[in-house]
Amino acid sequence: MPTPVSAARACLTQEAVATLDEAVAVARRRGHAQTTSLHMVSSLLSIPNSSLREACTRTRNNAYSTRLQLKALELSLSVSLDRLPSSRTNKVEEPPVSNSLMAAIKRSQANQRRQPENFSFYQQQYSSCSSVPVVKVELRNLIISILDDPLVSRVLGEAGFRSCDIKIATLRPVNSFHGHHLFGYSSRYKRPQPPLFLCNFNSSDSTSEVSMTSKGFTFPFMGGFPGEENSRRIGEIMVKDKKKNPLLLGVSASDALRSFLETVQKKGEGVLPTRLIELNVICVEAEISRFVNGDCDEELIKLRFEEVEKLVQNSVGSGVVVNFGDLKAMGEESVCVDALRYVVCELGRLLQIHAGKLWLIGAAASYEIYYRFLNRNPSIEKDWDLEILPITSLRFSTEGSFPRSSLMESFVPLGGFFSTPTDMKSPFSSSYLNVVRCHLCNEKCEQEVTALSNGGVTDLSTEKNHSSLPSWMQMTENGALNGVAPLKVKDDGMLLSAKIAGVQRKWDGICKHHHYNQPLPKMNSHQLTFQFPCVPGTQVAEKRKGNASNDSSNHTFASSTECGSKNKVQFLSTDLEQISSLKTHSPLDVLSEAENRKISSKSYEKPSAVEDESAILKPNPLKSSSASINNGHTSPTSTTSVTRGLSLHMLSASTGREPGKPVDQCRVGRTKEFSGSLSTDADTFSGIISNHPTHSSSCFFNSKDPKMLYKALVERVGQQEEAIRMVVETIVQRQTKIAGRRGDLWFNFQGPDRLGKKRLVVALCEILYGSTESLVCVDLSFKEAMSHTDTLFKLQGMNTYDVTIRGKTIIDYLAENLSKKPSVVFLENIDKADPVVQNKLSHAVSTGRFSDLQGREVNVRNSLFVTTTRFMEGGQIFSSSQETTKYSEENILRAKGWPIRMLIGIDLNDDLTSQNATDKGFSSPILMSKRKLIGTDGSTAPCGGLETTKRVHKASNSFLDLNLPAEESEIWDTCSADLDCDSISENSRSWLEDFIQQIDKMVVFKPFDFDGLADKILADMKECLCKVVGTDCLLETEPEVIEQLLAATYLKGCEKVEEWIQHVLKQGFIAARKKFNHNACSVVKLVSYKGISPEETPQILLPARIMTN
Amino acid sequence: MGQSVLRDLNVRVVGSGEKILVLAHGFGTDQSAWQRILPFFLSDYRIVLYDLVCAGSVNPDFFDFRRYTSLDAHVDDLIHILDALGVNQCAHVGHSVSAMIGILAAIKRPELFTKLILIGASPRFLNDKDYHGGFEYGEIEKLFSAMEANYEAWVNGFAPLAVGADVPAAVQEFSRTLFNMRPDISLFVSRTVFNSDLRGVLGLVKVPCSIIQTAKDVSVPTSVATYLKNHLGGRSTVHMLNVEGHLPHLSAPNLLAQELRRALSR
Repeated sequence: MPTPVSAARACLTQEAVATLDEAVAVARRRGHAQTTSLHMVSSLLSIPNSSLREACTRTRNNAYSTRLQLKALELSLSVSLDRLPSSRTNKVEEPPVSNSLMAAIKRSQANQRRQPENFSFYQQQYSSCSSVPVVKVELRNLIISILDDPLVSRVLGEAGFRSCDIKIATLRPVNSFHGHHLFGYSSRYKRPQPPLFLCNFNSSDSTSEVSMTSKGFTFPFMGGFPGEENSRRIGEIMVKDKKKNPLLLGVSASDALRSFLETVQKKGEGVLPTRLIELNVICVEAEISRFVNGDCDEELIKLRFEEVEKLVQNSVGSGVVVNFGDLKAMGEESVCVDALRYVVCELGRLLQIHAGKLWLIGAAASYEIYYRFLNRNPSIEKDWDLEILPITSLRFSTEGSFPRSSLMESFVPLGGFFSTPTDMKSPFSSSYLNVVRCHLCNEKCEQEVTALSNGGVTDLSTEKNHSSLPSWMQMTENGALNGVAPLKVKDDGMLLSAKIAGVQRKWDGICKHHHYNQPLPKMNSHQLTFQFPCVPGTQVAEKRKGNASNDSSNHTFASSTECGSKNKVQFLSTDLEQISSLKTHSPLDVLSEAENRKISSKSYEKPSAVEDESAILKPNPLKSSSASINNGHTSPTSTTSVTRGLSLHMLSASTGREPGKPVDQCRVGRTKEFSGSLSTDADTFSGIISNHPTHSSSCFFNSKDPKMLYKALVERVGQQEEAIRMVVETIVQRQTKIAGRRGDLWFNFQGPDRLGKKRLVVALCEILYGSTESLVCVDLSFKEAMSHTDTLFKLQGMNTYDVTIRGKTIIDYLAENLSKKPSVVFLENIDKADPVVQNKLSHAVSTGRFSDLQGREVNVRNSLFVTTTRFMEGGQIFSSSQETTKYSEENILRAKGWPIRMLIGIDLNDDLTSQNATDKGFSSPILMSKRKLIGTDGSTAPCGGLETTKRVHKASNSFLDLNLPAEESEIWDTCSADLDCDSISENSRSWLEDFIQQIDKMVVFKPFDFDGLADKILADMKECLCKVVGTDCLLETEPEVIEQLLAATYLKGCEKVEEWIQHVLKQGFIAARKKFNHNACSVVKLVSYKGISPEETPQILLPARIMTN
Repeated sequence: MGQSVLRDLNVRVVGSGEKILVLAHGFGTDQSAWQRILPFFLSDYRIVLYDLVCAGSVNPDFFDFRRYTSLDAHVDDLIHILDALGVNQCAHVGHSVSAMIGILAAIKRPELFTKLILIGASPRFLNDKDYHGGFEYGEIEKLFSAMEANYEAWVNGFAPLAVGADVPAAVQEFSRTLFNMRPDISLFVSRTVFNSDLRGVLGLVKVPCSIIQTAKDVSVPTSVATYLKNHLGGRSTVHMLNVEGHLPHLSAPNLLAQELRRALSR
């Protein structure tokens, strides 16, 4: 029933009345029958100094300019107003206030009454005059409650506002952004008399208020309400016509039963229905239990039942409740079946005779107990007319019985966290506590490092700046220092940096041990630490310069720079972690930090300008550091990218080692491809590239010569010339007639060779856009990819979507990246896309606009879309695992990097059982190449880097398999047996056909010739064996090993595998020959060693050594 | 009751499909939590969205401290809504406390539900003799006193823990909805939840259930999912999501949507 306007006016303050009148006027003008919240909003927006309008401008949503948004709001408002039914004929003078608007007014009235500043005022009013006080609603409160109206929030939503945001903006005064004023909860909460939360009680029950204020704020819960609630529900069941004998089921059912019986005995008014007030209770639990267990004979129980019957006949009240107690007693194995049947029958008979005057009641702690009972008496529910009542809430009276946990203090997730006062505004800081060294340790560490790098100072323990540390800390510190101090500081960059790394590690350790639980100290003081990475950096760089000019030995040269750069990378990465943890850092600090970093990178650039040779060495550390800078916000990626950078560095270092030899074109290209994928800083990249010997290849995008483009692509991809030609043609065509057309270009790559597709896209992106910064990769089959982790395939450091990118859907992710700049979008397996993504893609390909889930559109002009499918043109699924091919692409990509073992048998019939080799010595290729560089067999070079790489491996592995339950594989198996698979793929296939119709160019990829390659590898290996041992020896190879080697070839290229065979495998053969004097007919067998669980296996395809038995 | 329930609890019905899907949010959120999940189902389902009475988006006056002392009152709300909408059969997706509510509703009205999907569900949060619920009694009390002492600080601390600090947008979203709840209601409801114990009644559920559990959840240990699977009376399956966080619909919406689709079609 609409309320007359005058009645509504009575509830409002002057200001609000004016707004209401305006709203009424709007409704009248439009001929609407009622004044609704929408009219109110319209009037709120139109009044001068509109606070709603002002609140809208202050909302944080800054996707569009607020002016635009307000315009949209007005538009959508008028549209919705137009939609309301209007009658031109009988215009009402004052359209009455609609229910929803009136409800909003009432709500705000209630809200206002609750506010503590008004509380006493209304309370006084309430006591002085008997009538209900009339609260005049203020405009602000009115706005807030109107925003709750779904109609209104829809209109706001259409304009891109969220009503909750506006609500907050309305509540928050302009100048005070202090959270405590938000809703005023936290500040009011501590008042001695907290009126805010008790409103619900004191309005109805004044005595409870008194008791509560007297003992402070306690919770109504403690009063045992749930018990009452349970009793009430039991009562409700008992007054039903059918199924009126409750069986309480639940862990606390016995408690509930007891409390119900107490209530009955206390004649629980208010809880039980009036019919049940005069009830008698008989408990037969003990007798039944004794009887069914054979402790007493039939006579006794018969007597007891007769007693019950008599009581029922004589009862004056509403009846008798027979409590048969806990079903547990009757459900046990030892129970005599006949006795139980007798009890069931007797009770059933009693029930029938005295229907309406007799109730049964009982309890069972769990369904299992009831189920056991039910199995013995299948018709019990009917016989006893039972209704099962789940009891789920416990009574708080059982509080004391809970064991107090000894773990309480050390409980990290909640307890430990809440005990510390959280003054830190950033919610993220907590998660970084473990990673960052605390301020104190950082400073100490820094001092030591500067001391070290200044040379000279060996006795660090004499520095008397440890006074701030507790004595036990000094002890450990000195102890740790004793290990370092005796080492002489030579004029050797390697040793220096190794030491620095050692100091770093030491402080890491100390910090982790002792300061682990300490909260972060004042954040601003971290500023200091940022200055120190440049110190060792310059030092090493200068050293290198000197070193190089002397040109004493290439080995030490390489290793020193290597260590230096590694060190720097390490420093940077630790710093980055700090940076990312210090969100509240003032921008100035971050700026100065960035400057420092620039200085340090400049120090690297200098020597390279002097020398040609070091130009090859130089780019990598820089690039890797820049990559880690940009990725630094998520620490796992940053660490892995650092190691990636290291390995790259190693790679190029090995090429630079032999200055006389012309640099292998292909390899440099590959290095660049990988390093390019790492480098995300375009400026540094191009700056460095100018010094690069093969720089000319990266400047093709200026010259639009299709031949050159083709050549560059082929050089980088290495295969699929036909496909590349088609791509180049399409691009060139588009470039020549770009006028008047949309700039976006859509490809669909079909067929196998997933890696080839990816390589081509990466190369395209680098050539067309200068870097892979603007490459966006999404694999739409990620759901399936999760079941088998083809981790080998992942190109790290890419801008890649995967499901672990949290809080974003694919669409959000794409829209976000597309809105930033024109980019290359690489969508793998679009046939697996879900319907939402399908729609968006179709829309994008037909209109050139990509809209996100909120409906915001992004122009995809100048972007290059590459989609891939494994379908061939005819729609038939390409399967490379035909009978003819032995090694399928799927298997190769799924290959695991097991350590490789060599088994040697004398006879063909020899049993080659694998022994439990305790040899754990497989190591990474990084180690290997290092060893080669240094020239000594791993005895020196504790460069700190080793630990880092290992740690990263561990970290990344454990990250992947975090807390996975043991039966995970089983679950996935059930998942993959999909029922809905067919229907979905049916839909998506028709969509795919439509989609491909609209695409600019389809490119078919040829399968990679794995079989030929496998033959070649086998031949190589045999040849190698022949050279070492002789022609008599036979070589057997497990398919897994071949797959592993094929995967290595696929990912890294032929040369790498050939090299591996020439070095590692040869070494293995030689070692084997030494150990076993080969007879004529000995058999050498290569197997993959699976003694280690896959989680611990580092994913290295070409192990650095062969294990022998 | 009837229509007023629909209004009071902001019931919304969207989507153009045949089958009915109820999306029920958990503690500390409101129906907006599903907005990233919604688009995946709009074309195939009619989706019923509603707010729990404790949600910040519901007028706090509706929260009757005498009525909502146990989960049963919330269950009644759900059943009232479905009855008022004239729903005969539906699939119910419940997160955290709503999963518990869904279980109880399916016990009360088995014919109403074709399927229960339980996300981050736990029948009991406290540890017991043979049961690991993840919380000790003392911890809970600490949590309550932290909530009582400074709600805002608690929200700021709890949100990143629950969601996972690596998703700032989702943390912000969860903080917002969590902070929208009036602290006393929030505390009261969490007491109700921690005070509930559904272990005994799980066997009464005959509706097929899908349990969706993230690999790392601050509130629910993974063993609980197995416990649920073993004790639920109907056919039930466990799906592990290889992500962390108690609120996968905020933090990993894509993955959850896929998983939901699978679970619903089974």
